[in-house]
Amino acid sequence: MLTTVCSAVTLLTPATCPQEPTPPRFEAAVAIATPAGPVRLEQPGFAAPCLFDVDGDGRRDLVVGQFAGGKIKIYRSTGQAKFAAGKWLEVGGKPAEVPGVW
Amino acid sequence: MDLNGDGHIDILSGSYSRQGTAMAGLLQVLHGKGKGEFGLATPLAGSDGEPLIIQPRNGESDDSVLDQICTRPFAADLDGDGNLDLVVGNFRGTFAVFAGESGGKFAAQNTWLERDGEPLSVPAHGDPCLVDWDRDGDLDLFSGSGEGGAFWFENVGTKTAPAWSERRTLVASTKSPNAFSSDARFGDDHITGPQRSTRIWIDDVDGDGLLDVLLGDSFIVLAPAKGLELAEAEKRYAEWCKQYDEAAKAEDEKALDRLWKEREKLVAMQSTGSVWLLRQLPPAGATETRGQER
Repeated sequence: MLTTVCSAVTLLTPATCPQEPTPPRFEAAVAIATPAGPVRLEQPGFAAPCLFDVDGDGRRDLVVGQFAGGKIKIYRSTGQAKFAAGKWLEVGGKPAEVPGVW
Repeated sequence: MDLNGDGHIDILSGSYSRQGTAMAGLLQVLHGKGKGEFGLATPLAGSDGEPLIIQPRNGESDDSVLDQICTRPFAADLDGDGNLDLVVGNFRGTFAVFAGESGGKFAAQNTWLERDGEPLSVPAHGDPCLVDWDRDGDLDLFSGSGEGGAFWFENVGTKTAPAWSERRTLVASTKSPNAFSSDARFGDDHITGPQRSTRIWIDDVDGDGLLDVLLGDSFIVLAPAKGLELAEAEKRYAEWCKQYDEAAKAEDEKALDRLWKEREKLVAMQSTGSVWLLRQLPPAGATETRGQER
């Protein structure tokens, strides 16, 4: 009887308490910059970044959408989380634009 | 992500609204052609052939448009069925889902990410990014917000049946005064971190094996109007902000109109956006290592 009762009781120890995940820690934010200066968008801003290898060189480039004209700027990776000055993504020789952004 | 399965990465974008018809932010795709080339932006359609538009959660109402505009889509296989799904943020700060179907198509009708029957939400401008943060095999949800900072919802379900934790803060919102408050600051020396209207991307940026955070943002830089010295512009603009705030509370449209015109004599406003890197540190007590750049 005693054995059955003991086996039915779950001892509440730190190992068995449901725990909130430990919050991640970050270094202080650093503004991404290129040799041409910090990444700054045309008015009114609203930067939407992502990383992917645009030019197929094995390094992920920084691709940033902006509100003005729905244009997209590409900052090619130069290695070690550094990027070259940005150039507009072009289609047919003109900056690509996502309609209806404004 | 490769939306149409042709082996080339495509660019997926939301939009604020569309011109000429009922307000709704269409989802736009620029299909990759290889070698860094892309096609023109075209609206993404559902399996019914019509452009994907978020249907309001509670039907048509005075503010149902908030469910439909300012869209920000993210493609990921949320339910582990092998098809990319679309998770779409909106102005309200909630998250619609267009389930992926075979052949790179998407369901025409959306559902919503919910917890206990209530929609997951962030303070305006939902901005989903899905990644397996805790490396348990399922996708967790991250989002920027109109108020800045970043939030996340741990997937406490499974790879094929997601379920969500309560909202948690990943990055605290900025404490910088906004450009229309009486303690607004001139210049940009005080802009030392992500500001408002944040957009998030999560990746191991520095190759150390830990996921880092990229945050895009939006902010206004103030400068004295032509002919004004900085000290005078700061003093007069602080007073202007107080008057504008009072007029707004009183809903005095005439005063607001007058004050808005006077603003140009006091300040020049330039709004812009930056991209910030927040590099994750190892858990306390762990040894920090730097990896190779990917």
